[in-house]
Amino acid sequence: MEETSVFLLCLTASSGVPLYCRSKGSSRQLPFSVIGSLNGVHMFANNQDVLLTSVRTENSRVVWRSFHDSINLIVMSCENTASDLSLNKLLENVFSAMVLVIGLDDLINIKNVERLKKDLRGCYKLIDGFLTESEKMADLTQCVDCVIAPDVAILQECLDGFTQAAESDFGCLMAGGKVVAATNKWWRLASQDVMLLCWLVASLSPHSSRDYPVYLPQGSPTVPHRLLTFQLVPGVDVCVLCGPSPSLQKVESELVERFWKPLVDPLKACLRVQQRSFPASVQLHHGILGLLLVNRDLNKSLYSVQVHPMEDMQRTELKLTLEQRRVTLRSFYTLVLSRYFNRDNIDGKNIPYMETFAEGFSHHAHQCYTVSSSHKCYAVKNELHLLFLVFKPEVPTFSMQTIANKTLQVFTKDCSF
Amino acid sequence: MACTAELPTYLELLLLTLCTSAVWCNAGTAGVQGAVRHVVLTCSSRCRTMEVLRDSNPHEEDDGGGWDSRSSSYTDCSSCSSDLEPEWLERVERNGELFYLELSEGEEETILPLNPGVNHVRFCENVAEVISENAKKNKNEPRFKKLAKILRNKHNRKKGSSRRNGPMGPTSILKHQPSPKTGMHVHQQFKDICLYVNPNRLLDTAPYENLCLLQRLIGIVHQSSKNSKRLEKQGGPDAPHRRSTPEKLVVHGFIPDSPSIRCGQILIGDALLAVNDVEVNTENIERVLSCIPGPMQVKLTFETTVFDAQIPSPNMNSVPQPPMSNMTKLIWGEEHTNHQQILQDMPHIVMYLTLKLDSDTSKEEQEILYQYPVSEASQKLKSIRGLFLTLSDMLQNVTGGCIVSTSLILNKKLVHVSYWKESDHLFLISLPAERISLLHLKNMTADVVRTLKFMYKSLHRAFCQAENVPRLDHFFSLFFQRTVRLSILRTNTSQGPEFYDACSSHLIDNLPGVRWLSLPEDIKTEIDTILSDLEALDFAELSEDYYEMRRLYMILGTCLFYKGYLLANHLPKEDLIDVALYCRHYYLLSLASERIGQLVVWREVYPYYHLEKPGSLSRDEYDQPEARYFILIVGLKHLMMCTLLEAGGCTSKAVGNPGPDYIYVDQLKACLLQLEMLDMSIEERLNASPIPCLSCADWFLPSSRDKFHSVVNSVMMNKLPTPKKANQTLSRKTLIPESQTSLRIRRSSPTRSSGGSDNGSEGLGESTGVGFHSISDMTRKVGRRESQGSGGSEGSGGSGSALKISKKKYSLPNPFNLGSLRRNLSEREAEDLYNTVKLTSGSENTLFHYMYLETVQGVFISPTHREVEDLSGAIHPQLIKNFHRCCLSIRSVFQQTVTEETRSNPASDVCRDFAGLCPVKEHGVLFECSPENWTDQKKSPPKMSYWVIGRLFLQPRPQELYVCFHDSVTEVAVELAFKLSFGMPL
Repeated sequence: MEETSVFLLCLTASSGVPLYCRSKGSSRQLPFSVIGSLNGVHMFANNQDVLLTSVRTENSRVVWRSFHDSINLIVMSCENTASDLSLNKLLENVFSAMVLVIGLDDLINIKNVERLKKDLRGCYKLIDGFLTESEKMADLTQCVDCVIAPDVAILQECLDGFTQAAESDFGCLMAGGKVVAATNKWWRLASQDVMLLCWLVASLSPHSSRDYPVYLPQGSPTVPHRLLTFQLVPGVDVCVLCGPSPSLQKVESELVERFWKPLVDPLKACLRVQQRSFPASVQLHHGILGLLLVNRDLNKSLYSVQVHPMEDMQRTELKLTLEQRRVTLRSFYTLVLSRYFNRDNIDGKNIPYMETFAEGFSHHAHQCYTVSSSHKCYAVKNELHLLFLVFKPEVPTFSMQTIANKTLQVFTKDCSF
Repeated sequence: MACTAELPTYLELLLLTLCTSAVWCNAGTAGVQGAVRHVVLTCSSRCRTMEVLRDSNPHEEDDGGGWDSRSSSYTDCSSCSSDLEPEWLERVERNGELFYLELSEGEEETILPLNPGVNHVRFCENVAEVISENAKKNKNEPRFKKLAKILRNKHNRKKGSSRRNGPMGPTSILKHQPSPKTGMHVHQQFKDICLYVNPNRLLDTAPYENLCLLQRLIGIVHQSSKNSKRLEKQGGPDAPHRRSTPEKLVVHGFIPDSPSIRCGQILIGDALLAVNDVEVNTENIERVLSCIPGPMQVKLTFETTVFDAQIPSPNMNSVPQPPMSNMTKLIWGEEHTNHQQILQDMPHIVMYLTLKLDSDTSKEEQEILYQYPVSEASQKLKSIRGLFLTLSDMLQNVTGGCIVSTSLILNKKLVHVSYWKESDHLFLISLPAERISLLHLKNMTADVVRTLKFMYKSLHRAFCQAENVPRLDHFFSLFFQRTVRLSILRTNTSQGPEFYDACSSHLIDNLPGVRWLSLPEDIKTEIDTILSDLEALDFAELSEDYYEMRRLYMILGTCLFYKGYLLANHLPKEDLIDVALYCRHYYLLSLASERIGQLVVWREVYPYYHLEKPGSLSRDEYDQPEARYFILIVGLKHLMMCTLLEAGGCTSKAVGNPGPDYIYVDQLKACLLQLEMLDMSIEERLNASPIPCLSCADWFLPSSRDKFHSVVNSVMMNKLPTPKKANQTLSRKTLIPESQTSLRIRRSSPTRSSGGSDNGSEGLGESTGVGFHSISDMTRKVGRRESQGSGGSEGSGGSGSALKISKKKYSLPNPFNLGSLRRNLSEREAEDLYNTVKLTSGSENTLFHYMYLETVQGVFISPTHREVEDLSGAIHPQLIKNFHRCCLSIRSVFQQTVTEETRSNPASDVCRDFAGLCPVKEHGVLFECSPENWTDQKKSPPKMSYWVIGRLFLQPRPQELYVCFHDSVTEVAVELAFKLSFGMPL
């Protein structure tokens, strides 16, 4: 089996009928016998009142999750960066994506398996996005990716007005799948819902406008809402979450033009910062290769592996390509979150699917770093933010703390992220 | 110390003292060890071909009456003086193994009688015997009370147990019934049992003196039909005895503590037919027995009515819970029952499963080759064994990698399973996550496997031989109890050495190294000399010329432990780790930190290092001989010596299952007695102030009481003349009495001491403006002043040299290197001053804890128990716990690096495509803490941050260093310190 292959299996819990199987990085499918035994051991354990959660071999991991005793998700990953944390997050995301598209009711009460299979095709794109995503980090952090646009104040003002005019409280402006601005109410949605809506919009093929029924996995898993999206300029969409009214035509014809026409230039500017996630005016230390900043209060994150606008890609490509930086950042995030930093939103009633190693510490960890021959990583946690940085190996270890604090300063004070 | 002086640095470096202590003790080692190796090598290559036969070889002499002399050489030497026979002799098991433990007299005296009716169990490897003690319990008994009680001198025990032994005897026998041992042959209805008897130790105490030899020597009670009164007492009504002819010697009962009851294979109802193939009956038995000349092995032939004595033990379901090992009970006393209780409800299991199933025989549970325990809680885990087998098989087929671990949820609790797969067999250990983290469990599994291989050569041999089952039961019962115990201790906020042990077990249990105590050079040399002398085996009875025969064993090496610290090691690293793991699994290291009277352990072992033949052996390389290996551990008080013996090679071949050899044990004991002279100096080293100095975390958090202290201290300091080089000695002298008093205070309530004022005046204080001090505050201050003084004088010259002149011997150019004085200021005060070294930069000592692993020698250094105890505070124990837990995680990242490095070695491409974080060389985590029970509502509690940093050095040899220090240390110093540790010539 290839080193990068990931297989995602979805089966009904009661009968073990495969609903779909998605994979990444592998040319061939998982043999049916393997699918059968993977589900079989889980069912066998279930019959004995034992819940099988995960298995590790020397080169792979398998994680099982059962949702509402109706849907079983199994992921088998041969990536050596995979971890229990990331795979569990993946399964949660995938199930939520299924809920988002077809609603929880249809998933719990499966009447017609063939029909369900057909329905589920609607979320393949979204699910594949979780398997192959390379631009965003929100699948791991559960905090939606954002960009800091140069004229965010104007855009925010316009968005607030537009949303109000569309008889809704929930409005969001996205550029390339990342949030540029959103209304206050939008930020108060469950972080997973925000993330999923964003990923959904990014996964759908570009349309000038769209009226899409969505179930919010956390907010309203059984009652659908309407998600209206409008393409303002290619790559930039505005979306509104609303009830039965207003109609798509009304909003499109009456409001979009009125509110957004004057702002075409700032909207286009959003696309320019999309890769870097923040404007060129923000100067960071030249040793920083990648950055992930999480606002723990608003559940939003800022992610970039092209920190420097005019980076000489020719030279650095040799050392650390963008993909490698991304993988490094993800691995470091996973390591720190699963081992050291306490997660805040752990409610006691949930059964722990994973070992919470960090709980064993009697003092709280606040900073963490690793040094390897190809890069250095640093993480800082404070009351509001989490910051993860990847550095060039030339950066002295002792200076990382200072640089990290300064970087945090730049984003929290100057950009008020 | 000379080496220290040569280190050319003016910076304060974190690691310096580790280096110095290493240099300090190792300067001697290198030479000595080299010499030792030389000696050993010449010994082995010498290999004289002496054609002298060993007399009384057990198997060759067998025809002559079948006397199986258990340990041939001791009979040679000691048969003449059998009153000197060692106490442990009769504990030697059939396969030659021995585990004998006895408490020191001092411990025994403190012991008070125990409760009546409590059964106590004497422990020897796997045989547990129930002995009732008629006694009362005392509340403040020491932890070893029961052990001592049981191991009381023989006289007492016999008396005590004789009173009640009637009902107890059969219990013990029944317990052993289902687990037969090797050497028991069932020929139709006959069985041969070899017993060790000793006519010099007849039971001639009160109730026995009138008994016949059969009872006094062998311990079998035969009830002739005439006096049936005794029958009731000894055999009990439920004994399945059968009426037989008066001629037959039917076993009706047993004398407690006799050889026959100990062997556990004679059953009530058996009939004794022959002794050493001489037919016996009621008429001639006394005469036959009286012919036994001295302590020896006798073969008893029984006719048995119980036919299923050799049921294969995999049939575990019918077998009652194997007798719990009682060692833990002895060591931990009351806590033991608590552990038992927890274990009962905790899902945990060890299984050895086979993937190769015989399809023909559809026997239930045939895939289980071994399991422990058989309890309610483990039943569930046992019932899903199919899952383990399927997963391991399927995933290996699909991914090509061996299965490592599984997590599952059982009764709403996360349970980990850790695997070890070898060919067709799967070994697994399962424990709940709340007791042990997965990282730890994985390491533990690897260690258990290694130890089992060390003891039984291979997993398969260990688990598939029926006679090993009780031994393994014992082994795993120890394993689980220890795990539970450590997890309990960890959650407690208690202090003391136990807590430290429990915390550090996270990390050090699985390190490829042994805790090492650095010793002053002279002591070190002395120990090495004594060990070398022993290893040379050139003394009277052991020299080959003495008996004109080949010696039995060659000593491959020894290692010496004192209170669980390694003092000296002449073993190859791999052997040392094997031995240390064995000791750890049998609690020998923690036992040695208590007082043991006597410990003798003997068993055959299979050291991987010697048995594993290297694939391509070049001509000039030393070829390991075809040999058998034995481990002999002798403990005396705090000292414990482990010796690895080789039989075969240049020595005579070992035949059968030789027991411990009298002479070797004696020599080791003599050696230990000799080493005991050094007890004082070793103890002194343990009590010495820590090198490097450590700080207690609590001193960094101000509290109201500390403020008082700080005021007092700063006032005192202010009164002193400003430190000028000229009057330094004077100022120190004047301080002595004060410092002693203040020390006493410090000891009782270690708190933060201040130094703010003088820090300010010297301009060297930290930016925080508060100063902190290590263990001995006042005296340390002086030391620091001196050091700073000299530091300041470096630039201006002149005055600095004055200081140097006054301490010619120890002129330290490093101005920051000096840390403190120590507790008792004797005439060696000056010397002591320089023995204590501070590692960290800044005017304050900020080092909390450290751990340095050196893989070439297989040792690690970390603060001693005493050092940690001295720092007791409210937060510090928590810090130590976090340190070890964090190190466990850091180390797991490093292990990944190491495996990746080794894997990618062939294609050593610099710009190799790496994935994820690897290879990590350094990893650090910053923790923040604030005092508990912060009552001041107005102010937020003060915070203290500390780093836990691990660093891995792959070149030239893997080394690992973990440190914990206060956040205020500038990282430059850390960086330099790490660099410096390269120069650590350990």
